[in-house]
Amino acid sequence: MSAAAIRPADPALDERGGFAPARYVRDTLLLTARSLRAIPRVPERLLDVTIQPIVFILLFLYVFGSAIHVYGISYKDYLFPGIIGQSLAFGIIGAGVATSNDMTEGVVDRFRSMPISRLSIITGQVMGQFCEALLGMAIVIGFGLALGWNPHLTLAHGFELAGLMVLAVFAFTWLGVLFGMLVRSSDAMQGLGFIVIFPLAFMAGTFVPIAGMDAIPRAIAHWDPISALVAAVRGLTQGTHSSGSWQLDHPQLAMALWCVLILAIAVPLALRRFNRTLAA
Amino acid sequence: MPDTNTPSDIASADAAAPAIEAHGLTKRFGDFTAVDRLDLRVENGSVVSLLGPNGAGKTTMVRMLATLLRPDAGSARVAGHDVVGEADAVRRSISLTGQFAALDKNLTAEENLRLMARLRGHRRGASRARVDELIERFDVEEFRDRLVKNLSGGQRRRVDLAASLIDRPRLLVLDEPTTGLDPRSRQVVWSTVRELVGEGVTLLLTTQYLDEADALADRVVLIDHGREIAAGTPAQLKAQVGEQRVDVVAADSAALEQLTALLSGRFELDVVREQRTLSIPAPGEAADLARVAEAVRDSRIAVDELALRRPTLDDAFLALTGHTATESEVQARERGSDPENAETPEEVAA
Repeated sequence: MSAAAIRPADPALDERGGFAPARYVRDTLLLTARSLRAIPRVPERLLDVTIQPIVFILLFLYVFGSAIHVYGISYKDYLFPGIIGQSLAFGIIGAGVATSNDMTEGVVDRFRSMPISRLSIITGQVMGQFCEALLGMAIVIGFGLALGWNPHLTLAHGFELAGLMVLAVFAFTWLGVLFGMLVRSSDAMQGLGFIVIFPLAFMAGTFVPIAGMDAIPRAIAHWDPISALVAAVRGLTQGTHSSGSWQLDHPQLAMALWCVLILAIAVPLALRRFNRTLAA
Repeated sequence: MPDTNTPSDIASADAAAPAIEAHGLTKRFGDFTAVDRLDLRVENGSVVSLLGPNGAGKTTMVRMLATLLRPDAGSARVAGHDVVGEADAVRRSISLTGQFAALDKNLTAEENLRLMARLRGHRRGASRARVDELIERFDVEEFRDRLVKNLSGGQRRRVDLAASLIDRPRLLVLDEPTTGLDPRSRQVVWSTVRELVGEGVTLLLTTQYLDEADALADRVVLIDHGREIAAGTPAQLKAQVGEQRVDVVAADSAALEQLTALLSGRFELDVVREQRTLSIPAPGEAADLARVAEAVRDSRIAVDELALRRPTLDDAFLALTGHTATESEVQARERGSDPENAETPEEVAA
């Protein structure tokens, strides 16, 4: 091979000064596509976010469900909004594990040593995780519908629900990506998920009404963001009304505010963390 | 060969600047000082090797130069650009191939190369053409459509090198390019590096292997605990370290004592008791081997092994600092990954 085989850099690269939006968007799309390609190739990752909710659906619908009675609603209709909230919350763990795995791979170092927008590395990561989580969510909802879940949705409520869920997936993905960059390993991320996210996802009025809980879990559940999420989904799909705290009186608004708050904290922290060097 | 560099490749203002110029570069992790006031100068078109054992600070040094770590003290310029203040310009000048293959394991070899080409700003068609060239050059054809996670260590390295050469970098940085590779893959990497050097690529190479530095570098900087121990051309270093050696491994410690007593009058001996080994400088190579072998045969003392070998990093440290480079457990780990001893097939080496 001749020396001519090694070409100088594309001149377009050198003309780039400061932030170039077109380039940023293109790099983000390239890196998003890279993440999406992994979905069919690592099916166990998608399985992780779908199998757990499905197991919970089956367990609670056919094993524990007969012992749980919620006034004024069939348990099936009570359960599915809870499952949706729970699997959205578990999405934090999924995004965290995937991110921490990715960050420890050499490929991110290569990206970081290349003349591309650093922001695009992290937004590409978020977009990939985001699409994967939406896909997982769609599978869980499809499973629920197949088992006879009956959401009573008006068109307006349908849009509101879709918007809220997309916002929640987006916020939780950023949160998961942040956690994924903070923890030392994907095992640590699993541990964090088990200790923090698991209980919060369980006590959020997911499987049993908050009103029947003991005083302390009830107090936590009243202000658990996942409670607002579950109450919002339940309110929109089944027309139920929740109460007990301000956020449960206004679950849709509360959920939107939680998402904005999470994004306002997680996005800058994740970007700062990414720009700070990872340990050698 | 005509040089195809255009002014856009290397900004004319810094064309004369050395590829690397570092002064007092320091990096601490908590109490641990990984790189301790290290100076480094790499001239354009030269090949410099950072040689040192595991944990000597080689990778940390490389990561600072590649803008992946921010130095705690000191300064460094790559192609005339400050690694902290002008990180973006530095990133445009270098190409880093890290210690572990820097590829997406869920993409195929070709998809990885395409992605890197696109990220470097080449359009789709140009990327395809460039990637095809690289696939041919680095002999990736037979596994171009295989996922990187299913490739062997040697195959990954080839893809990795190709990915580093999508654009002609002002400076190519290879961090331990052959660690963990079997001997055959190692030879492939070496010959590729030689070709690139022949084309005038400036190269900074880190390695744990003295013979690798010797084979590839114009200048070697020996480091340990983040500090420079010695620097010079491979010939200068080897002059200090000595050339080949004959190792005699005694069958037991009694035999070792007998051999030591017998041979000490005739040869210059280094005795490594833990390994029951006598090490004898052999500048005359085969002739010296024959003399030692004769002496051992005549003694009728039992030996496990008698062999001529090249000096290792440990010999270099012993000669230059009076102590060996590595603690025993690190040594064992290194020997485990030493291509010279690796008998694992290529598929396992990954």
